[in-house]
Amino acid sequence: MSPSDDEIREEIAAHLRMAIADKMARGASREEAERAARADFGNVTHVAEVTREVRGGLWLERLGQDLRDGWRALRRTPAFTAVAVATLALAIGANSAVFTVVNGVLLQPLPFRDPGRLYAVSYLPTHVPFELPPGVDDRLYLEYRQHVSRFDRITGYQRQELTLSGVGDATRLPGARASATFFEVLGVQPALGRAFSAEEDQAGTDRVVILSDRLWRARFSGDRAILGKTITLDGIPRTVVGVMPRGFTFPAASQIWTPLALRLDPGNSFLFSVTGRLSADATPEQAKSELEAIALALPPDPRAGGIKPVARIIPLKDTLIGEVQTSLLVLAGAVAFVLLIACANVANLLLIRAATRRHEMAVRIALGASRARIARQLLTESLLIALIGAAAGILVAFAGVRALLALAPAGRIPRIDEVHLNGWVLVFTLAVAVITGIAFGVVPARSGARREPQEALGQGTRLVGGSHHGLRSTFVTAEIALALMLLSGAGLMIKSFFMMRSLDTGYDASRVVTMSVNLPQIAYPDAARLQAFHTALLERLTRIPGASAVGAVAFRPMSGAGIMGDFVVEGPTPLPHGYTVDKPTVSPGYFAALGISILAGRDFTPADRAGAPGVVVVSQTVARRLWPNERAVGKRISMQEPPGPNDWLTVIGVVNDVVQDAQLSRHSTIYLPYLQMSSWGFINQMTFVVRPQPAAGNLAPAMRGALRDVDPAVPAQALQTMDQSLMDTIAEPVFQMRLLATFACLALFLAALGTYGVLAYDVTERTREIGLRMALGATPGTVLRMVLGRTATLAFTGAALGVAGSLMLTRVLTRWLFEVKPTDPATLTAVTVVLLVAALLAGLLPAQRAARVRGLTTLLLRD
Amino acid sequence: MNETRGLSRIELLQGTLDLIILQTLRWGPRHGYGIAQMIRASSHDVLQVDTGSLYPALHRLERQRWIAAEWSTSENNQRVRVYTLTAKGRKQLERERSQWEQLSHAIAGVLAPPPPAESEP
Repeated sequence: MSPSDDEIREEIAAHLRMAIADKMARGASREEAERAARADFGNVTHVAEVTREVRGGLWLERLGQDLRDGWRALRRTPAFTAVAVATLALAIGANSAVFTVVNGVLLQPLPFRDPGRLYAVSYLPTHVPFELPPGVDDRLYLEYRQHVSRFDRITGYQRQELTLSGVGDATRLPGARASATFFEVLGVQPALGRAFSAEEDQAGTDRVVILSDRLWRARFSGDRAILGKTITLDGIPRTVVGVMPRGFTFPAASQIWTPLALRLDPGNSFLFSVTGRLSADATPEQAKSELEAIALALPPDPRAGGIKPVARIIPLKDTLIGEVQTSLLVLAGAVAFVLLIACANVANLLLIRAATRRHEMAVRIALGASRARIARQLLTESLLIALIGAAAGILVAFAGVRALLALAPAGRIPRIDEVHLNGWVLVFTLAVAVITGIAFGVVPARSGARREPQEALGQGTRLVGGSHHGLRSTFVTAEIALALMLLSGAGLMIKSFFMMRSLDTGYDASRVVTMSVNLPQIAYPDAARLQAFHTALLERLTRIPGASAVGAVAFRPMSGAGIMGDFVVEGPTPLPHGYTVDKPTVSPGYFAALGISILAGRDFTPADRAGAPGVVVVSQTVARRLWPNERAVGKRISMQEPPGPNDWLTVIGVVNDVVQDAQLSRHSTIYLPYLQMSSWGFINQMTFVVRPQPAAGNLAPAMRGALRDVDPAVPAQALQTMDQSLMDTIAEPVFQMRLLATFACLALFLAALGTYGVLAYDVTERTREIGLRMALGATPGTVLRMVLGRTATLAFTGAALGVAGSLMLTRVLTRWLFEVKPTDPATLTAVTVVLLVAALLAGLLPAQRAARVRGLTTLLLRD
Repeated sequence: MNETRGLSRIELLQGTLDLIILQTLRWGPRHGYGIAQMIRASSHDVLQVDTGSLYPALHRLERQRWIAAEWSTSENNQRVRVYTLTAKGRKQLERERSQWEQLSHAIAGVLAPPPPAESEP
């Protein structure tokens, strides 16, 4: 059996007693014998300790002893312990929360079989004005499906939205058209029922559907008898053949899958997403060359117009997380800064505490404790603080993850369902705790153990102090610099946010309520039937009490969807090369409803209908660009190339430019009247806008009611104010801004706390020196200035470093900044001022205390 | 103080203390104080084992299972920790003994007067 510490002590005691007995037997007095025995034996503590050290195998027991000692030491200084633990709990918790999201979104493998071999396949031109997601056109997809050998199998799919009606309120669902091989390639089979068969993947026999687990539970109360039942999607009845397992929502939060049922259109081609499972013996490069070779063997597409497509294969995971990766890594970096600041803070607290424990340490060293032992104990204490902080941090992380998920813009972060506080997060937290415990503990532990006992013991009469002075200043300076960098990032995002909010959109519509409506082809097969629906709904919306103006526009403002293109101008001057405009289709009254000013001419009227002369309204920029110094009204353009005699459209009005797209920029726009639109695809997705009277309440329920009256099978989408639409559009930078601002506030608070702590300790340590200065004639004002001067030195040094760091780092934010440069001088100045004020305030309390020191009395104080 | 006592002491070679302890325990179980006394007596007061070396060595040997320890009561009714040589320790002792003999033989050779120098050619 291994002896415990008590046994070692007992063994030594027995040794001493026997030695004393022997010496007394030889005639020494008890007193002499005891003294001699102790002198012979040497340092009891030391012997016990080195003996214990030998029992290296008992590290667990020793650790237990160290932890007990550490815990006792921490309990002796509850204020220190509370501040250190709270600081770390916040910092570690914030890091664990961000890691939870990073882990779920970026690190965890996709929930598919052997996901590392899944690749997105693409054959598209790369250098085009707008970035295309990876894809393959339908004809090439069929070739690939037949000929690729480097993939076990490839499968095509396309995202779509479908309206489910007949079960509760009609609702619009995200989903996908998927090949029969889709589920097999991903390696996920339906939990209930089966995947699509090859026959069902043919046009004509494709009236089947597979549901997500969530949809099945929410809409069909998890009834297993759903298999074989018929549901209505976009007006088409389809038989349910399967239900996917919980958590399967690929691609992009899909709730519903229908067969791809590819049908080639002789006049057009369509792009699909294509995913392949790479063969076990193939490399991505081989697969890429094969795709290239198959594509090149086909006759060239005359419509491609000389733009050369490029074969690419991209790990499927990258296509899912591409955009969000940078965003999350920026946040992870920011929150790591907070942790660094917290570490510097706790290290400083430990240094201060070590200074107040000089005596204890000196006594222990004098009694024979080895320096390694002291260092180990100090390090154990800091590890203990870190571990307690981490335990509390888990609770912070728990709340933090919930807050993050609540703040996260809906549908913008992929795989958000996979974000959970799990074992990996606990491992991460533990690792962070150990690393931070060592990081903030090692410097104080080393310097604590290095101290010479004589120095510390003889310090009772010390007048001028200043141990670790330099170290503490370094930590505070670093904290201030880090905090400034975070503040700069947050400041830039906040400024950018205000730029977006105060953006002059060209209309006055913050209270205007929108309602988007997608009409299915089965019930509304031609433009005339769409127009009849629109007219009926507009008429009902006009009758809503509280509505002051009503209109409709194709696609939703700021949604990112729309139609752009060129056109033909009548007259000798051709259209400038590459000039494209937005071409929204609108109803009469749309301009008034949205608050767009008519600068010349008139609005559309119901008389601008099919059969009447073709008309358009142009925006100001179009008018200026095409007819400078001329009246635009009365000029003619055409959307047909070359225009026939009946294809000319007359400009009847000019309106001001507005922001229509998700990039929040103003485009040249040509408005077309919906009653003259014969193309189905231009007007099947309309957004109705209702301007409320000033005192009107919420119009949304009445608008939903109006829609239900016209067609109960059509769901209302995006039923919200224009202000909310803008917030949706900028949701991502706003999310980024909120988190950065939170971390920056935390950093500022910690840095101020750190500054305060160090200065307060400085003043305490120098009380006697200050007293001496006072006795020699210094005034409270001089002392105040002295302490504030030191604060200012620290703050200015830190701020200078922080500004330099900001200039290097804020570039990573460029993508989220709107009309603000990453080196915006006004923002940098503002945050520097904020930081300096915070630091000086932190220094003010200790400075005032120093100024109250009374001369002679302090000279009589001993440590 | 520690420093002054150390000066008159013969520094034991690394590992030698182990040999001496094992050798001492060959004559029967003994407690730490007893071992120290015995070493001192049998070396005619030349070797005074520092307790700061003795106890760590005892515990190290115990961990290596060359000696075993148990608590028992001494002649004057004290609870003492008594060490016994194990079979494994006995083998170790033989090994260390022969090593020591080789070493001391070698050192003796080195320290012996050099053979008469050969005459220059």
